[in-house]
Amino acid sequence: MAPLKSWRVRIALVLAVVGPGFITANVDNDAGGIATYSVAGAQFGYTLLWTMIPITIALVIIQEMSSRMGAVTGKGLSDLIREEFGLRATFLLMLALFVTNFFNIIGEFAGVASSFELFGVSKYIVVPLAAFVVWGIVVHGTYSTVEKVFLSASAFYVAYIVSGVLARPDWRAAALSTVTRPESAGFRNYGYLSMIIGLAGTTIAPWMQFYLQASIVEKGVTARQYKTSRLDVIIGCLFAAVVAWFIVVACAATLHTVGKYTIETGADAAQALRPLAGDYAYLLFAGGLFNASLFAASILPISTAYAVCEGLGLESGLDKRFEEAPAFYWLYTLLIVFGAGFILIPRFPLFRVMVLSQVANGILLPFVLIFVLLLVNDKELMGSYVNSKWYNVVSWITVGVMIALTIAMVIAQVRG
Amino acid sequence: MSIVALSELLGASVRDASGAVRGRVREIAVAPQDHPTRIAYLIVRTADGERMLPHDAVKSAGASVRATTDAARWDRFSPTDGVLLLKRDLLDQQIIDIHGRKVVRVNDVELESTPVNSHLLLNVVSVDVGARGAIRRLSKGLVPSFTLRALLEKIPPRVIPWQFVDLLETDPARRVKLKIAYRGLAQLHPADIADIVEDLPPAEREAVFETIDEEVAAETLEELDPDVKVAIVESLDKDRAADIVEEMDPDAAADLLGDLPEDQSAQILKEMEPEERQEVTQLLEFGEHTAAGRMTTEFISVAETAVVDDAIEVLKRFEGSREAVATIYLTGPGHKLVGAVPLVRIAVASPAVQLSELSEPYVACAPDTPQDEVAALFDKYNLITLAVVDEHGRISGIITADDVISMLRHRD
Repeated sequence: MAPLKSWRVRIALVLAVVGPGFITANVDNDAGGIATYSVAGAQFGYTLLWTMIPITIALVIIQEMSSRMGAVTGKGLSDLIREEFGLRATFLLMLALFVTNFFNIIGEFAGVASSFELFGVSKYIVVPLAAFVVWGIVVHGTYSTVEKVFLSASAFYVAYIVSGVLARPDWRAAALSTVTRPESAGFRNYGYLSMIIGLAGTTIAPWMQFYLQASIVEKGVTARQYKTSRLDVIIGCLFAAVVAWFIVVACAATLHTVGKYTIETGADAAQALRPLAGDYAYLLFAGGLFNASLFAASILPISTAYAVCEGLGLESGLDKRFEEAPAFYWLYTLLIVFGAGFILIPRFPLFRVMVLSQVANGILLPFVLIFVLLLVNDKELMGSYVNSKWYNVVSWITVGVMIALTIAMVIAQVRG
Repeated sequence: MSIVALSELLGASVRDASGAVRGRVREIAVAPQDHPTRIAYLIVRTADGERMLPHDAVKSAGASVRATTDAARWDRFSPTDGVLLLKRDLLDQQIIDIHGRKVVRVNDVELESTPVNSHLLLNVVSVDVGARGAIRRLSKGLVPSFTLRALLEKIPPRVIPWQFVDLLETDPARRVKLKIAYRGLAQLHPADIADIVEDLPPAEREAVFETIDEEVAAETLEELDPDVKVAIVESLDKDRAADIVEEMDPDAAADLLGDLPEDQSAQILKEMEPEERQEVTQLLEFGEHTAAGRMTTEFISVAETAVVDDAIEVLKRFEGSREAVATIYLTGPGHKLVGAVPLVRIAVASPAVQLSELSEPYVACAPDTPQDEVAALFDKYNLITLAVVDEHGRISGIITADDVISMLRHRD
């Protein structure tokens, strides 16, 4: 009885803390992420699967620092930046975050629109409806109900795993190329190299650090529960990586095999999959795209509203009512209304905006990551929870590589 | 008399008696041990290290500061715990706004300057938490100062007078030196204190609970969310936690201890006074979701032969919660429950009337009654209190309506 009980207690403990890390990692596979993974699979087959392991490690390291800071200090990232670096730095950062996330939100609603256009439903119906749903869930929910909705949305990512299986990949080849060192010849190929940059860049976005830390704080995770929280981050990142792996594999097994290399978005990928992997794979892929986009569209505005209000000292939090935290809810509402509204403008340069959002993410990311590293190493703030020496070496290298890759991506994007 | 903002003073050039610029203002210090609001000295960064310009040597303060003494006479600054540094401890930090009953972030600090004899008296008068302070700081150095001043005039101020500000300091020793006692906070209603506490990060919550009066702490604790409550008690020193738990209603205390890990609740129980410990331990033995787990053992019962006057005497000596006095229970031979008298009937009856004459039919339940049935009884009979009786018909405790309301609201 005793071992059974302790085992059950442990599961309950994990379930109590699972949430923020799991959600954040999964939202990472948003419309932009799915597009990038699909393109990677279609264009390069299994040959880019080796990137999944290093990318997952980088994701875990960076997410872990944010969740640790949240648990130890009980404060959000923008709170800490405000307290340690002053109003001016915070204001500029928040302005940049707001603009960047706004572009991202447009991208997510574009994902919603394109997934339903696959089924022949007009964006003029779907997008306003989606915006309304997103707004309602969060404005009328409390933290725990919203978390439940988000966790269920995370579960829908299984759709991609199923459609990966339906695509009947060459499992042996896929597994092998995940764990073997890539051939160095590939790196001389400009397209291959820029694809690697794209994969890395889409994985770690600035908003994630703010969202993760804020929701750890709102969930009330403390330093003592931190170990379970770390597990949450690791499980979340692993699941997100597995989903990404299956997207690449699905496209590699079908599109790449028949020589259909050129797709641009997740919706293109779903459409191209249909004759090759069957109706179910197509439906799951398209449905997955819709879920992912809607999910990210509900998280990005809320994360932005949190971060900006915290940093500027305005009332914030889902547990507050509209009139208690007007700036918070207004910011949130406006981001959704305009984010969705832009999609409805006829002949809106959608692809340009998607590229622009990637560039904006890339420009902001180095600043955010450096702030994170400086703060997580502040003894006065973190006490004994500062990074250990080896962890610091690993995380500075990770951050350095991420920064180098995103700068490269920005340059590549700007040059077209 | 005029108001000058901390952000204007920070970075201002400092001229000494000779009229030469000697450095720039880096910090402003208040020594609460000497005076609660008066500026003790300005810390000036000079070519020769950081110096303290004492308050009585400040001749004027604004975009530039003039001193009445020579820079050579300013003492060297060495960091100390005993002073409040306005930039480090206040600017951009969170404080408790007693008046507005919430946690806010400081955008700027306002000082009042009054000329006295040959120098200037500077006092902290308020903190700016609105747009005015934020815009002043954001545009400092980018917009000419007279344009800025004109612009700021147009923005309605949002300031909190200094006497309504409670600082947050997590270091207990420093809290004593800075005389931070959360007196303002402690005067608020416990439910308001609880709202404020829930907005604070864990370390600051702990600071509040270490400092405020045990009775207030206990009442506040009862109002908090169960998770937050447990986290706070776990973080407190066990001795201190026991002092607070003793002040709580026994049923609330038992609920709380039941939510804590066993080793922690045992440690707290060990530190408690024997009498309170016994009451709480009894309650702890019942299941949390039963009538007995929800009841309090602090209630009023008198013999059925007693008169109204006796009941009033018992009321006067009663130390339990106000909710529990709504009904006075009557016991017969063998301490069996025989009747219940609503407080209102006692209030309007003459002193010599026997209580049994005032008795009304009462509703009671067994200790193992599930909480949902308890709620149903309250609903059906419109109860304010419900007696819990054991198998011998003796009353062992009562459940009050407020317990049922919170039970219904926090049902998982």
